[in-house]
Amino acid sequence: MTELQAEQGAQALDVPHEAKTRRNRDALIALAVFVVLALLPAVFSSKLLLDFVIRCAAYGLFATSLNLLVGYTGLISFGHGMFFGLGAYGFGLMMQKTGVPVPVAFVATLAITLVVALVIGAICVRLKEIYFAFVTLAFQMLIHSTILSWVSLTGGDQGLRGGIPRPPFLGIDLSNQLHLYVASCALLVIGLFLMHRIAQSPFGYTLRMIRDNATRASFIGIDVWRAKLTIFVLAALFASTGGIIMALFVSGAYPEFAYWTISGEGIFINMLGGVTTFLGPMVGTVLLLILNDTVTRLTDYHGLVLGIVILFFAIGLRKGLMDFVVEWYAQRRNGAGERG
Amino acid sequence: MTRTRKPGVSRRATLAMMGAGAVSFATPWVARAQAKSIKVGMPTILSGRVAQLGTSSRNGVMLEVEKVNAAGGLAGRQIEMVIRDSKGQPQEAARVARELVNTDGCEILIDAEASSGAFAVHEVARDLGVLCLHTNSETSALTADPKQHIPNAFRTARQGVHDSIVGGSYAAAIAKAKGLKKWATCSPDYAYGRDTTGEYVTYLKRFAPDIEIISESWPKLFQPDYTEVVTKILQAKPQALYSCLWGGDLTSYIDQANIYALFSQMEVFAVNMADYTALTVVKNLPKGIHSGNRYIKTYPATAENAAWGDAYKAKYNEYPTNWSWENATAIMLLAEASKKANSADGKKIAEALRGLKIKSPFGADGTVTMRAEDQTLVGYAIGWGTTIPQEPYVPQVQAGDWKTIFELEAEWKKSKGYT
Repeated sequence: MTELQAEQGAQALDVPHEAKTRRNRDALIALAVFVVLALLPAVFSSKLLLDFVIRCAAYGLFATSLNLLVGYTGLISFGHGMFFGLGAYGFGLMMQKTGVPVPVAFVATLAITLVVALVIGAICVRLKEIYFAFVTLAFQMLIHSTILSWVSLTGGDQGLRGGIPRPPFLGIDLSNQLHLYVASCALLVIGLFLMHRIAQSPFGYTLRMIRDNATRASFIGIDVWRAKLTIFVLAALFASTGGIIMALFVSGAYPEFAYWTISGEGIFINMLGGVTTFLGPMVGTVLLLILNDTVTRLTDYHGLVLGIVILFFAIGLRKGLMDFVVEWYAQRRNGAGERG
Repeated sequence: MTRTRKPGVSRRATLAMMGAGAVSFATPWVARAQAKSIKVGMPTILSGRVAQLGTSSRNGVMLEVEKVNAAGGLAGRQIEMVIRDSKGQPQEAARVARELVNTDGCEILIDAEASSGAFAVHEVARDLGVLCLHTNSETSALTADPKQHIPNAFRTARQGVHDSIVGGSYAAAIAKAKGLKKWATCSPDYAYGRDTTGEYVTYLKRFAPDIEIISESWPKLFQPDYTEVVTKILQAKPQALYSCLWGGDLTSYIDQANIYALFSQMEVFAVNMADYTALTVVKNLPKGIHSGNRYIKTYPATAENAAWGDAYKAKYNEYPTNWSWENATAIMLLAEASKKANSADGKKIAEALRGLKIKSPFGADGTVTMRAEDQTLVGYAIGWGTTIPQEPYVPQVQAGDWKTIFELEAEWKKSKGYT
């Protein structure tokens, strides 16, 4: 056995072990984050903070799942908001019309999203770049128009009215703000953990390869269409979960949840936070919501302020905040290394 | 030298007692001063395409708040308005409403939202139990549907079905007199447009059964070009046209339809025309368009209404809108209910509001009533008339009959399964 072969053999043995260690470490981090978030209400009594975190969970899951498409696979979707809306409407309708327990409605909504995403994705992922972007936008507008037109089911432009019933299950009462907060934190942490595992898995690296050179990926035997469809569907499921949290937060579902502006906000969040790091969209979500909430309190000209912030990131930094921080940190380390 | 202690109370003790006395005397005043103001939260639309209406809602509220505060406030507590932009998005309206109550300490909400936002804020009011007055949403279901009912939410706006009953009976009378049998409709393609048009046609046919709808057009909300719609109507050659287009859509439509002389070829009934936002913006306002009153200072033709319109104009340099009077009415009702309950407490005000009748510049008979059964406003001035291109714009308004409205509304509720 040559030295090289011996080294490769050792690596082959080490990789699963290393992956397992990393998975355990990620699980521990996720658990710690959840514990910290769950304990926040004991330290801060602000209801505003609870509302803020619930909204962060909804938009964070949505934006991070969009980044699985945009940042990891190079699929710029202008219509990802349709799954956010689908989650909100699916869950809301299920609770209003059928009266099933919350977990059943949750799973059923994800099942509906899965089917719809499979059908839409099978058509969309055949296309590339701007064509993919526009066809996703077209499907989003189709779903939005359906919501507006199917008044007897969806309430049309006035949305699902009358509140969403949230009967307690397993001692959890989602009509209680604290319970909703903890449940949202749990969904956020689980969602982020799963998405991180997807991003770090061999499948996640396949997606990066497709993003960088799809032709080369297909030449080495990767079924590009299937991989793209898989991530499209997975991202839809997480976006749908975000929509469910939002429906619970506002106790309703509105056509705006499936409108293109929601997708636009998702893209903006990714631009703000950065697309090259996993946590970029989450940072972008927190930034956008803080900006929105504070600027709206201070001035009616919040559109102008947000526009200036976008310009700053687009022209000034030319990247998202986390991209900038990571790059700056790497340069600093390299500089220190060179000096050392 | 020794200091001898004088008998009696020492100077230090006297000062301490005076201090304690002053503190105990002042404490209720300090407490009262702290409790003096009552925060009233108001999510409304201050940006985007209908920002002008949101601003006019804010103006309507502030005009009245100043008067109420000058008169001592709500049971001695000055009203402090906290007004935030909801951008017309329901999720933002819900968030802002929650923030106003939970963080800013608002004890009452004035929900100056369009319909979808109003339903979102309604759910917040249901959750938090805070007193909420819906001031802009005219969607009938908000208060007519018993499933929506919560004891702490009221509506001080018009109701769509009231407008349809009065508009339908007015149009039917003209249709009979002028023999207008072939009708077209042109309304925005969303729930308000479709519901209002449906209800209007129902009542039009009820009073004039031989009319026929020969053409329907449903332009998109905020559609910039109406050429296709105008030519479709002209090709159908109806004798009359109904539309519930509003705001910028209505003014764009009229400007474009003027090019085709549409208004000289048929009788036009536009429910949302008689509001200054539309009347003053249209470049060549056609004569003889039939419209329901939204806000005009000449109807009801009373000194109180004219004075209110002028006071608004003097303060804000523009005339009020339909949303202005609806919001002003919320403050007027709050003030009277607080006086009746002798309290600024939301629950007590809510109790006092049920069935409360107050004097109002906007009342059909000089009063408006917060109907107890469904907690919505009734008795406001509602009528139809024809336009002229200059002030007073609608010189003669034919008043709607509230007795008929109540009868037909009861029937409508029954047909909807609301009773």
